[in-house]
Amino acid sequence: MALLDVEDLQIAVAKGRVLLPVVQGVSFSVDADETLGIVGESGCGKSLTSLAIMGLLDGTAVRITGGTIRFDGMDLGALSPKERRAIMGNRMAMIFQEPMTSLNPVYRVGDQIVENLRQHRDLSKRAARDRAVELLDLVRIPDPGQRIDSFPHQMSGGQRQRVMIAMALSCDPKLLIADEPTTALDVTVQKEVLDLMADLQKRMGTAIVLISHDLGVIAETCDKVSVMYRGRVAEAAPTAELFARLAHPYTRGLLNSIPVVDHDVEWLEAIPGRVPTIDEQLTGCAFHPRCPLATDLCSQTAPDPLQIAPAHRVECHFAEKVVT
Amino acid sequence: MKLAAYIRSTFGGRKLATIGLIWLCLVALAAIFAPLLAPFDPYEIDPVARLSEPGLPYLFGTDHFGRDTFSRAIYGARMTVVIGAGSVIVALLTGGLIGMLSAYFPRLGAVLMRGIDVLMAFPALLLALVLITLLERSVVNTVLVIGIVYATTTARILFGMTLKLKGEVFVDAAICSGAGHGSILFRHILPNLISPLLVQASFIFAFAQLQAAALDFLGLGLPAEVASWGNMLSEERIYVTRAPWLLIYPGVLIILSVFSMNLVGDAMRDAIDPRFKDDIAGV
Amino acid sequence: MLVYTAKRLLTLIPTLLAASILVFLFIHLIPGDPAAILLGDSATPEEIAALSAEMGFDQPLPVQYALWLGNVLQGDFGTSVFFGEPVLTVIGRGAETSILLATMTMVWIVVFGIPIGVLSASYQGRWVDQVTSGGAMLFASVPTFWLGLYLILIFSVWLGWFPSSGFPSLADEGGVTNLRYLLLPSLTLAAPNAALIVRLVRASMLDVAREDHVRTARAKGLHPATVAVRHIFRNALIAVAAAFGFTFAALVSEAVVTETVFSLPGIGRLVVQSILRRDYPVIQGVILVIVVLYTLINLAVDLAYARLDPRVSLK
Repeated sequence: MALLDVEDLQIAVAKGRVLLPVVQGVSFSVDADETLGIVGESGCGKSLTSLAIMGLLDGTAVRITGGTIRFDGMDLGALSPKERRAIMGNRMAMIFQEPMTSLNPVYRVGDQIVENLRQHRDLSKRAARDRAVELLDLVRIPDPGQRIDSFPHQMSGGQRQRVMIAMALSCDPKLLIADEPTTALDVTVQKEVLDLMADLQKRMGTAIVLISHDLGVIAETCDKVSVMYRGRVAEAAPTAELFARLAHPYTRGLLNSIPVVDHDVEWLEAIPGRVPTIDEQLTGCAFHPRCPLATDLCSQTAPDPLQIAPAHRVECHFAEKVVT
Repeated sequence: MKLAAYIRSTFGGRKLATIGLIWLCLVALAAIFAPLLAPFDPYEIDPVARLSEPGLPYLFGTDHFGRDTFSRAIYGARMTVVIGAGSVIVALLTGGLIGMLSAYFPRLGAVLMRGIDVLMAFPALLLALVLITLLERSVVNTVLVIGIVYATTTARILFGMTLKLKGEVFVDAAICSGAGHGSILFRHILPNLISPLLVQASFIFAFAQLQAAALDFLGLGLPAEVASWGNMLSEERIYVTRAPWLLIYPGVLIILSVFSMNLVGDAMRDAIDPRFKDDIAGV
Repeated sequence: MLVYTAKRLLTLIPTLLAASILVFLFIHLIPGDPAAILLGDSATPEEIAALSAEMGFDQPLPVQYALWLGNVLQGDFGTSVFFGEPVLTVIGRGAETSILLATMTMVWIVVFGIPIGVLSASYQGRWVDQVTSGGAMLFASVPTFWLGLYLILIFSVWLGWFPSSGFPSLADEGGVTNLRYLLLPSLTLAAPNAALIVRLVRASMLDVAREDHVRTARAKGLHPATVAVRHIFRNALIAVAAAFGFTFAALVSEAVVTETVFSLPGIGRLVVQSILRRDYPVIQGVILVIVVLYTLINLAVDLAYARLDPRVSLK
């Protein structure tokens, strides 16, 4: 059984008295030691999905309206807040997009890691501090014995993100959710952080859910990919399979809009139109206004998920056509 | 119409702020049409009816001279508007200009802002008291003094905001297209400052009332004969035990007006450009 | 930290000097002969001439300033026209009252302002918040003297629970219980300022709650109360601390009015009476003392701010 099993997840935003659906039936699963990539443009719901899994939507205007999330055999929706909190930062951890602001500026870096450790483990202050130094070393922060007493503003963006990773992994979580962890970093630093994550995964066997809008990052690091568009999974497949035999016009659009470096091009390809806002309701397939293959059928009926290969699912009336 | 749209977007859904706005309009109307609205001359004395309770014909009762409190209250609205608007104008013109120019011309700014720092070493009312001591009591002087007191904070705030704007790309663009200093300042930077200036203006208006009332109470503000809500409180305070109502009306009027202005200022502040929100945080 | 403090003290000196120049010029800006002003209305021309020579009013201004500053630094602030005593002595008499009043007021402001602000932010949008926010804005709109007068009316005149005026020294009979004379005045003074603190704490906490690091704290599985105190409140304190200098200025200003309403023998009332009595040396002396005090308090606030926010560079 998969470590994380998301089935038909539905999330909506409360705007006044109205509930606007944002995620409309997302399903995927992740096993231990595996990396799942979730890719999509801004507004497709990938971040909200990750927050929902982590349990960070409680108390906000956004809520889960349907579906189940199973983690390590447990139905997360059936847990009490206290039980949920026992898992957060412990068996399941998350790192975020903005390392510059994700750490509390008034506390030392080491103290913030220690806080996570002592929340979930019965450790003395001394023992927790020693463990924190070990963790900083693990994420390749030079001179960890000294840096542990640094304040976040004394570190670069890349270093702060590594501290976040150290903090997230401090209690040996089975699942790490990384929401655009490298988007705000320089390209060279990006590579370092991604390499670090892959290395740590090998060592600790953690399952990773990596969210990104960058197909390049996804291609390099993920075992399987789910492409999201406007609250639904347009296509899902193992990485190699996806890039070799993509079956959804949106995926093709994404791939085509990546600039190539091996030959000259006159024009950069873009997907025409824009992502509709959450207030705009559509009938039929969510992508049809921007799809080159759209027909009347597409504007009236939403496509059902189609299994075109063992691990390859797609939602498009014309999937077969796209593949060839 | 831009004004209507602005009002709707700023005050829509904020009941209290809208009520505040309406109250302020009433005050303004009372100020303008005082002679028509007041049943009696505010200075007219009726010795027989001294310290009479609220009723007819004296709606708010009479004071220790026998003057009609209601009429004095209506005429007091004039002073409220004059002091509020006057202080705002003085503060924005002097402080605002100093702040803007200091940010725009750094060398001039170094000197000017030091001067502002020195003035800010004097707490507000104390500065007002010092200045009042040097001048005689009059409406103009009171407005001037309070305006100068608030010119200091205004200068600081405008300095910060102009500095922020100066660093923005559109200023560089204007310079590249050959715009002169005056043009950049008044056609490019100033329009962006209008809405935070309005917020600042509303808070100054509110605090000016309290300062003026305090000065009146101490006998150092408006000349005693002038009918202002602060003066009414000051004159009648010894009669508070015999005629408690005398202090309620002017007091409540002041509270309502300051409260309304604060509400309006708050509403406007929530509607301004987020990059200025921190600058306006305190008056 | 020590180096930072020393550096800040150094930058203060020019400002204080400039302020002292203004205070010094005060006497000379008043229309009329300075010596005549100092001696009051009943002085004879001979006395005026004698004082002029003695005080060096015939000297050029910069020289006079140097002389005056020299005297001030030795503790000689001149002589009160009304009391005939050294200004510093007169001020010293009012110090006990004003310091105690200010302290009690600050206690109320912190004790009421901060918890209510936290409460308001925690229950944002619900009726607790609406009531406290609205109430806070209302109290911030009330003229202090009006509040004071009505508190006297209700609690002194009608209920007779507290005295309405005066303040015997703590050294006198009654000792610490004499503080009850300061209860109503301190509450009056505290009300509008506590209201502003409530609004500031609330706004600050709501701002901080939106920041990314709070989400990180929640993601660690911390109890909501722990997040609220350790990650939201602690960070919000930064903005609140910065405002305390302003609060002190407001306190000093409004204490003038409050001491007048409650007839407290403090420095605030001294200023007002001196203005009405044209006792210019005293006015000058009090202003100078308050300016120095205010500047030092601002420095203390800046230092506290630097302690609370590690990002402030201690260069």
